[in-house]
Amino acid sequence: MRNSLIALLVFAGLAIAPVFVGNYWTGQLTAYLVYGLLAISLSLVWGYGGILCFGQAMFFGIGGYLMATITKGMILPGITSSYIGLIVAIAGAALFALALGYFLFAGRGVSGAYLAIITLAIALVLERLMNNWYALGGYNGLLNVPPITLSFFGVSYELYDRLPTFYVILVIVAAVYGLVVLLMNSRYGLLMTAVRSHPDRLSFLGYNVLTLRLSIFTLGAAIAGLAGALFVTLDGFASPTLIGFTLSTEALIWVALGGKEMMLAALMGAILTRWAESWLVEIFGDYWILILGIAFMISVVLLPKGLLATPLQKFAGRKRL
Amino acid sequence: MDFLPIFLDVTSYILVLVLVALGLMIVFGMMGVINMAHGELFMIGAYVMLASQSLGLPFIAGLLLAPLIVGLLGLLIETLLIRHIYLRPLDTILATWGLSIALKQIIVLTFGPESHSVAAPIDGAFTLGSVSYPLYRLLLMAMSILLIAGTFWLFLKTSFGLMARAVIARPTTAAALGIDTRRMYRLSFVIGTALAGLAGALVAPIISVDPQMGLGYLVPGFLSILVGGAGPLAGVLVGGAVVGGTSNLLTVWISPVAAMITVYILAILVIRLKPEGLMGGRRAK
Repeated sequence: MRNSLIALLVFAGLAIAPVFVGNYWTGQLTAYLVYGLLAISLSLVWGYGGILCFGQAMFFGIGGYLMATITKGMILPGITSSYIGLIVAIAGAALFALALGYFLFAGRGVSGAYLAIITLAIALVLERLMNNWYALGGYNGLLNVPPITLSFFGVSYELYDRLPTFYVILVIVAAVYGLVVLLMNSRYGLLMTAVRSHPDRLSFLGYNVLTLRLSIFTLGAAIAGLAGALFVTLDGFASPTLIGFTLSTEALIWVALGGKEMMLAALMGAILTRWAESWLVEIFGDYWILILGIAFMISVVLLPKGLLATPLQKFAGRKRL
Repeated sequence: MDFLPIFLDVTSYILVLVLVALGLMIVFGMMGVINMAHGELFMIGAYVMLASQSLGLPFIAGLLLAPLIVGLLGLLIETLLIRHIYLRPLDTILATWGLSIALKQIIVLTFGPESHSVAAPIDGAFTLGSVSYPLYRLLLMAMSILLIAGTFWLFLKTSFGLMARAVIARPTTAAALGIDTRRMYRLSFVIGTALAGLAGALVAPIISVDPQMGLGYLVPGFLSILVGGAGPLAGVLVGGAVVGGTSNLLTVWISPVAAMITVYILAILVIRLKPEGLMGGRRAK
């Protein structure tokens, strides 16, 4: 159980971080956690499902825009509950992924490089669409998205202060992480390994590969949708950059740097890359992007399992977390 | 509304797109490598032209330097990067994506993020009745046709082309027959990148040269290949004509946004429903 121990240590470390880093960095760390959720979703789809998706941010963006439009009362002025917003965001992203996944994987299906190019093109289309959809703010995006309001039995609390927001997000991320790891250690995870490595043999054994692929693609999208919905409530702002190509490829870099086949490494990859970026930009300025690009290249060539996952796996002594 | 200028605009766009796509296709068809940095190599070609012009060199020097420098860069990339991962096709997408980020940033650091313009070597316009058209665009079209024809000739009529097609069709058999496949891979990668550089230098005078220009040609280039079919070389002509033609005409008739969205969605539909492409051929790995 060494691997759960590492995860426990990481989450414990994150839980006490606000004591050391101060108010500003707690706010930043909250955003990084949400990016980490996006990284978890991509790691699920790519590392576990074997679907190289170049547009994972589209589900993030769909979740974000759905959350923003609902909590701003743009769809139904009477219903602005955060809970409904979250549910719609998750369901909307999942449904879109289900339809898209069916279109992409059914029958002869596309895979590998073709899939990468197609998902990249779809992300570009959605970004362009949102940039020109003026009812949804167009290029400027939607401003003044309200923060999440938690209500239990008539008592409601608005997540506005940084510290409570941080802990709520941390609990959500830890819960999603825990559930996904449980799922992947179950029989379903084993089936996913089979889908990834020998889909033909699996269908020969009587499993429906399409259903399995769709399930993981949809699950990943649901998590990305949740992440997007949480993200827009942090800054109160939903913009076309959430849905597009840049965030998609950034997520790809975090997950590849961390380690796509190890959920914890993907999560840490997102948090550490964003964190490193915020202070390395001050040191290296414009050279930072150059360094990131080169680091990404080197990690793909020399450490295809990821910069973090390789040592973590050595330590855990098992193939995956 | 004059149809001739529109027709010429569309044709010149298609020709440039085909030039970019041809380079991509040679690399993809032969090595199964998706070169996401191809758009950046095209961009560097345009910047070589810009730099040579600001040094006061004649236009023709830029045209010669661009494929040379970009081709050498291609050689470097093949040696340092592609060589080590071409057996992992999906990783080549990621690694060349990292490369494209790095190359873009190098250009931003050297030339700044703003867009530049390059002067055309000839200014005049060709007038026919009431229609007048810039001479440089006609020259660009002529040169593109020559280059495309030259590439086809190289791959279809020379012994190098025969070997190359053998490597594409049956790599192991070709190797058993004594063809040095590694050398063929390297050569075709260099040819593909040099073509991108030359295309960039040729188009530089008619577009704005900026660090982000690569992506605008990379994605339509890939869509052209996949729509046309990654098998026969002619597929790229059909794909380029379909993708470039539709997008340009819709831009004129409706709007750039509608054009981009329609073309991408149509292309995705074609790729999904007819994965071997309009012209047929093998399905990629």
